[in-house]
Formats: sequence, C-alpha cells, structure tokens
Amino acid sequence: MIKKKMIISQETMDVDFVRKVEALAGTSVRRCFQCGKCSAGCPMATFMEHPPNRIMRLLQLGQWQRVLAGRSIWYCVSCETCTTRCPNTVDLASIMDALRKLSWDSDGASKESYVQLANKLFLQNIRTYGRQYEMRLAAVFNVKSGQFLKDLMLGPKLIAKGKLKMFHSKNKNISEIEKIFTRIEEMRKKGDAL
Amino acid sequence: MSRIGVFICHCGENISRTVDVERVAQEVGRLPGVAFSTDYKYMCSDPGQTLVKKAIQEQKLSHVVVAACSPRMHEKTFRKAVEAAGLNPFLCEMANIREHCSWVHENREEATVKAIDIVGMMVERVKKNRILPTITVPVTKRALVIGGGIAGIQAALDIADCGHEVILVEREPSIGGHMAQLSETFPTLDCSQCIMTPKMVDVANHPKIKLYTYSEIELVEGYIGNFQVTIKKKARSVDEDKCTGCGVCMTKCPQKKIPNKFDQNIGMRTAIYVPFPQAVPNTPVIDRDNCTWFKTGKCGVCQKVCGPGAIDFEQQDTLIVEAVGAIVVSTGFDLYTIAEKPKGSPIKGYGEFGHGKIPDVIDGMTFERLASASGPTGGKILRPSDGKEPKQIVFIQCVGSRAREKGISYCSKVCCMYTAKHTMLYHHKVHDGQAYVFFMDARTPGKSYDEFWRRSIEEEEAVYIRGMVSRLYQKGDKIVVMGSDISVGVQVEIEADMVVLATAIQPQKGADALAQKLGISYDKYHFYSEAHAKLRPVECATAGIYLAGACQGPKDIPETVSQASAAAAKVMALFSRNQMEREPIVARVREAGCVGCFACKKVCAYGAVEEKEIRDRQGNLIKVVAYVNPGVCAGCGTCQATCPSKSVELDGYTDEQIIAMIEAL
Ligand SMILES: Cc1cc2nc3c(=O)[nH]c(=O)nc-3n(C[C@H](O)[C@H](O)[C@H](O)COP(=O)(O)OP(=O)(O)OC[C@H]3O[C@@H](n4cnc5c(N)ncnc54)[C@H](O)[C@@H]3O)c2cc1C
Ligand code: SF4
Ligand code: SF4
Ligand code: SF4
Ligand code: SF4
Repeated sequence: MIKKKMIISQETMDVDFVRKVEALAGTSVRRCFQCGKCSAGCPMATFMEHPPNRIMRLLQLGQWQRVLAGRSIWYCVSCETCTTRCPNTVDLASIMDALRKLSWDSDGASKESYVQLANKLFLQNIRTYGRQYEMRLAAVFNVKSGQFLKDLMLGPKLIAKGKLKMFHSKNKNISEIEKIFTRIEEMRKKGDAL
Repeated sequence: MSRIGVFICHCGENISRTVDVERVAQEVGRLPGVAFSTDYKYMCSDPGQTLVKKAIQEQKLSHVVVAACSPRMHEKTFRKAVEAAGLNPFLCEMANIREHCSWVHENREEATVKAIDIVGMMVERVKKNRILPTITVPVTKRALVIGGGIAGIQAALDIADCGHEVILVEREPSIGGHMAQLSETFPTLDCSQCIMTPKMVDVANHPKIKLYTYSEIELVEGYIGNFQVTIKKKARSVDEDKCTGCGVCMTKCPQKKIPNKFDQNIGMRTAIYVPFPQAVPNTPVIDRDNCTWFKTGKCGVCQKVCGPGAIDFEQQDTLIVEAVGAIVVSTGFDLYTIAEKPKGSPIKGYGEFGHGKIPDVIDGMTFERLASASGPTGGKILRPSDGKEPKQIVFIQCVGSRAREKGISYCSKVCCMYTAKHTMLYHHKVHDGQAYVFFMDARTPGKSYDEFWRRSIEEEEAVYIRGMVSRLYQKGDKIVVMGSDISVGVQVEIEADMVVLATAIQPQKGADALAQKLGISYDKYHFYSEAHAKLRPVECATAGIYLAGACQGPKDIPETVSQASAAAAKVMALFSRNQMEREPIVARVREAGCVGCFACKKVCAYGAVEEKEIRDRQGNLIKVVAYVNPGVCAGCGTCQATCPSKSVELDGYTDEQIIAMIEAL
C-alpha cells in the first residue's frame, strides 16, 4: 500500500483514467459522497487494504496508482452488495470490474497483488497447452513473484494424490483454443470486448 | 406612426458575455417604428430606469421594449418606470434575451443574431399593444390559515393580533402539529409542551380567531382579495357547545386498546378521545371506525355518563363557506417510514433494516414520545418489545434522506440536530447507557447549533461514528448493527438494545391534492413551491396565497416561526388596503361574433365566464352570449384558444399581437 504524502494538483489527478473507469462501468465516480455504506456490508472488506468507499475516494482524486498497487480489487468477489446498498446508485461492483480490467492493461501496476500474475500465467498455460499444467503454473508463479519456496511442501502431497502431474499432456484441439484467444484479442483491439 | 424606444441591458455580464449588445441596439435601431435604441449595464438599476424615463420624455416615445431578463423578474419594474414617465404601463414589453438567449447559448455570433430576432419580434408586438386600464378589486380582510402546527398557530396569532379575523382549519381533532409531540427542543432543551401549549390556548381564546378542527378544505374559489372557501367539518359525534371537557366519557369507554397516533402508536387510547391531555380544543372525538356503537349499534356508555348530554351519534359532516382575502398554507410534514413501499413507487423502503418489522428499531418521533414526560412511558426510555431499558442505543442519521436510490435526494435539515438532542436526553435518563451515532456529516448551521452538537460528544460522551450502516438484524434480544467507520477504514459491529432512525421529512400525505384545490405549484416531492427561492420565499406564485413552515421544505422550529411571521406580514400588507389593483390581462368577448356555444365556459378553470342576454330595444331576447367577469378572470387564455368562432381575446395577448410576432421572424 502506498502511504506517501499525496501531492494534489491538476497534473497528479488523472481525470482521463477516471473517465475510462466511468465509461467501462457505466456509473459515476463523482456521485459517491463517502457514506461508507458499501464498506459496511462488503464481505471482503476486512481483507482489503482499501475498503470499497476508499477505492471510490482515491478514484475521485485520480490516484489510480494507489488503487491498482493494492490487492483490494482482487479480493472483491463481485457479490454486488455495495451496488445494492449504495444510497447514491453508484454501481461499485462494476467499478471493481473496470479496475481489474484496467489493471490488466497497465503493466506492473498491481505488483503487490499476485492474483493478476496468477491469472495471467493461468491463461498463458491454457493457450500453450490447451489445458492447465499445474506444475509449470506453480513453478513460474513462484519464480516471477520471487517467493521461490512458497507452498513447496504441498507439492509431494499433491503429487501423491495425483493432483499434480509432472508432465503435461496437450489438448488435441489446441488450434480451436488458439482461435478463441485471437478472436478475443482482436475484439479487444477494436474495443468490442473488455 | 409609433415611436418605439428599445433598451438593451447587459445584465452585468450575464447577457453581454454572449450577446453583442451594442450590435443589437444598432440593428434594431434601424427597424421601422423604432425612434430610439440604446444599451446599458444594468437597466433595472436606478440610473437605468432614469435612462428609460428620460428617453420617453425627450424622444416623445409611444412604446417601450426592454430587452433584458425574464418578464417574471422585472416586467413590473419597467412598467412602473414607464408609467412614471407618463405612458400607459401596458405599452411596455420585455424581450427576454437572458434566459431565452445568453444563458442557453455559447456561440456569440449566433446568440447575437437570435437576440436581434427576439427584440425584433417584441418591437412588432408592442406596436399592436393597446392602452389597458388597471382593474381594482375590493379586499376581504379575513385570512384563512390551513394547518394548525406551530407555523399555522404563529401566523394566525400574528394576523389576529393585528385586528384581522382569521379562520384556522386543522385536520386533526387538536391543533399543535408535530411540535406538540416533541419532548425537549434543541438547541436550548426547553420543554416543547411548556412553550407550545400557551400559544395553543391563546389561539382558542383569541376573539379574532375562528377555529375549525377535525376539518378539511373542500373547495377554493376566487382570487386574491376575494376567495370563497368551502370547509368540511367532519362529524365529531360530540356537541362542541355542550361538552365541558370533563373527560368522564374517556374514562368509561370500554374500547381502551386503540393505538394512539399522537404517541406514534406505542401508547393506547379509547374510542372517544382527545389525542393528548393538553389538546385544543379539549372536546373529544369519537373514532367511528373503532367505536362499539358504530360497529354494532350497542354500548353508548359515553352517552349515558356524559352529564351535559354532549354525545351525538347522529352528527353529520357539515360544509361551511367562508369568504377570505388571503390564505396561509402551513400543512407541515410527515415522516418517512422504512416500511415496504408499493411496487412502482418512486420512494423505496429499507429492506436492509427489516422494513420496520424489528420492534426495537424505532424512528426519531417515537423516541420523542418515549422521552416526553407526558408520553406513554412517563418519560422513561423503554424498549417497545419488552419494556426493558436499552443500555446500548444506536442512532442512524440520513435514513431516507440524501439517498437517491430510495427516491429522496434532499437533506432533511433537522435530524442531525435532533439526533444530537436524543443522545443527550438518553444520557440524562440512562446513566449507565451508551449512545452511538452513525452519521455522514453533521449539519449544524444555526445559532448555537454546532456548540450543541459538540456538547453531545464532549460533555455527554455520545460516540459518533462517521459511516453508514449496511444492515440491521435481530439476534436474540439484540439488534446487530453492521456499519463502517470510514475515518479508520474498518467495519464496525454493535450489538444494540434499541436503534433509532432519523427518518426523512416528507410533505403531508395529500399535499398534492390540497395544492390542486388551491391552484399552487409543488415540486416533485410535493413540497409547495415559493414564487422565488431567494426574493419571494413566503409567497406562492398564485397571488394571495402564502407559505409557512415545513410544507415548503424541511425546517426547524425557529425557521418555521420566522416564516410564519413573515407570511403574516405579507397578509397584513395586503389587508392594509381597501382595494387592490390587478393586472388588466383579462379575456374579453366580442359579442357580435359569439354564437353562444359556451365552450369557453366549460374550459375556464376559474369560473369566470357567465351568460349574458342581449335584447333589442323592445326587450326581445336576441341571443345569449358569453361574458367574462374581469374580477375573476385569471388571464390564462384557455377560452381564447378554445372559442370556435374566434370571439374571445385576451387583452395583452391578442391574436393580432401574436401574429405580428410570428411575421417579424
Ligand atoms: C423527531 C423530530 C424532532 C424534532 N425536534 C426539534 C427540535 O428539538 N427543535 C426544533 O426546532 N425542531 C425540531 N423538529 C422540527 C419541528 O418538528 C418542525 O420544525 C415543526 O414541527 C414544523 O411545524 P409546522 O407547523 O410547519 O408543521 P407540523 O408540525 O407538521 O404541523 C402541520 C399541521 O397541519 C395539519 N395539516 C396537514 N395537512 C392538513 C390539511 N390538508 N388540512 C388541514 N390541516 C392539515 C397537521 O395535522 C398539523 O397539525 C423535530 C422534528 C422531528 C421529526
Ligand atoms: S462486489 Fe466486491 S466490493 Fe462490492 S460488496 Fe461485493 S466483494 Fe465488496
Ligand atoms: S455506498 Fe455509494 S456513496 Fe456510499 S461510500 Fe459507497 S460508493 Fe460512495
Ligand atoms: S359508544 Fe363508542 S365511544 Fe362511546 S363508550 Fe362506547 S365504544 Fe366508547
Ligand atoms: S440533517 Fe443531517 S441527518 Fe438529516 S438528512 Fe441532513 S445530513 Fe442527514
């Protein structure tokens, strides 16, 4: 979590980013008046370093780096309690969606969160092998996230139970899967998909 | 040939910022019939008006067009100035180049061209204006006040003290309104009853005040200075002249378990009742829906015990017509409830707070009744469910208010202050208890108000938590409050014994229906609209009708009383004259053309159209034509638009004038 002093000026408040969030989420960021009702009901708020109302506040100030650097948006489970309860009809759950999408596109923004890294590796594996290759996923994740020994002791147990294969097997229809990926990529380029 | 003077106003920069006023003055100066044209920074100011007057005299002007703001704002100002310079005021017209032009456009060139068109149209129109004589009407110096809360009481007393008769109409069996329900009042904590009841008694004893309680307005006809009002006096079943107010009937009535609305339904009353012991008048009413006699034809105990024989089961509703010259509307407010609302209603309830089904989740007014020494618990704070004293009490502000998702986006203005008051009253009464308040902002502008709020925290030790509550639910005999503290950034949970909701202030039920009877406007929430938010805050746009209190918007007592006295002052100003002038913008029938179909009579909302017989010299009836009573006509022009033979014309808005405007384009 970034704890540095906030220097507020027209330059440091990224209005364009906020507009992007608003366009993606179809809801207003400025409308939030910080009542905190969203945070009061959010089942995941205790895990987030920024509870939902504070995500809104940081966005209002255009401080998206502070939002994306944290893991809050990845803990959100899209239950939509916040959206239902907000007295101001702010669709906060959609804002969370939009932030996850924008975080994906902004390189390295979510350093502190390994969720995004895990998601990216997960999809990469699917694209390469046509199915998940858990051993590789775990190994690459540990290397990339710099925690080489993470959950190492779990490995043998999982292997014993046949849950973790040493070698991968390729999906026969890999070309079909590749088509799906390229199609989505094209759609995203054109702006037809998130 | 007309000699028209055109005066273009800059309105500071409001107009000149987007409209090239000098060019407008030059171009309209060239129009046929225009003898003089100029521009000036503030035409409505004293030098501006002098400029107009001087030009009329020096240039021998025949007509005047002032191109400035909306006629709603300054038409009167300029017509007066024109009159002072010796012209008939109705030879002056305004061209609105502010609201209709500079405020709604950005492109200077286009706005300037449009302004020239607007002024050009008015130039052509004013050429067709005729001299209109002012109409004078007599003023009935009696006032009607609708609603007997503190607003109505104050207005009635002020007007009556000035020597004018007042008719005060109250829907409930007693006057007093919400203030009579309050325990102690912020910011001084004086007892509400103690400061209220003497005023109620003054109303009852005032020789100039005629009080109709348990009555409603049925019909309003007429216009400023001359209203006819029909009042429905509901059957009380008790003869007011005979009843001495001894109350023996109430002690003997067997129907004892009827929830008393005055006590927010936590206290009980009998079928024959006064809402509270200090009621004015203290004549009881029989609630026919709950009376054994009216339900089964048996009982009649009250009749048997009543010494003076005042009980009258046969009494009927009666209609009374009163003539008044002015009306003060002071129908007050109602409280929002969190109950489930009907499908499709723009206002929603609070499912997350249990829709009002958790017994110990109450509203602020119920807390007032619990805290009131004359309330159902004798001033003890006790839970409705089991009568225990709550040791942990949670207050939640802004319930319903400031929540557009629930259908209300305004702030109710009084709840921050009364919640602070409630925490104090609670701590005064429950010494080992703790009060918590969930709030977003503390809105405490007002004399000694913020100090009052701070006292509740610093001296009375209420714990304020900045954040709202997501859910309330019953767990055993506790209510779990799931909130958040946004200053700390964490969720907060409190197991409370009782929860008090500061629910929104809404207009009275039926406020819209009354407004339609009165012909006054209201906003989307049904609060009554003032004529001008800043400069005419106590008058309605409908002449002769004034507003006081919470019916116009949320207000506390000091503000309500100030507005009531202001409304009274307006009424007194009206009553200071025997006659009043009214605008001669009235419809006139061209009798030669009228075929007597009376389509106009059917559409006139003011009942101004009468039938008139035309006879020859021998007295033989030739035909019956329409006649518009200029005293009653409101100048709406509906008849003019309806007449199939084009025989009605509205003075000041004749077809000739309108067509001249269109042709100028
Ligand atoms: C819980 C609570 C606590 C409060 N505490 C304080 C406080 O401590 N200090 C303070 O300054 N303010 C307080 N207020 C605000 C205060 O109650 C209002 O300012 C005040 O009552 C407004 O007076 P009113 O006469 O405009 O309206 P009301 O008191 O509502 O009176 C309106 C009257 O008009 C009658 N009426 C309605 N419709 C009709 C009709 N169609 N025909 C005839 N009669 C009609 C009603 O029966 C009623 O008698 C509190 C409000 C609440 C809700
Ligand atoms: S949608 Fe996300 S942020 Fe909103 S309440 Fe659910 S978990 Fe919390
Ligand atoms: S509930 Fe809505 S208004 Fe309140 S803090 Fe959350 S997003 Fe903002
Ligand atoms: S007649 Fe009705 S009001 Fe009278 S005592 Fe019987 S129940 Fe009560
Ligand atoms: S007065 Fe206070 S509690 Fe009431 S609506 Fe306004 S901010 Fe909320």
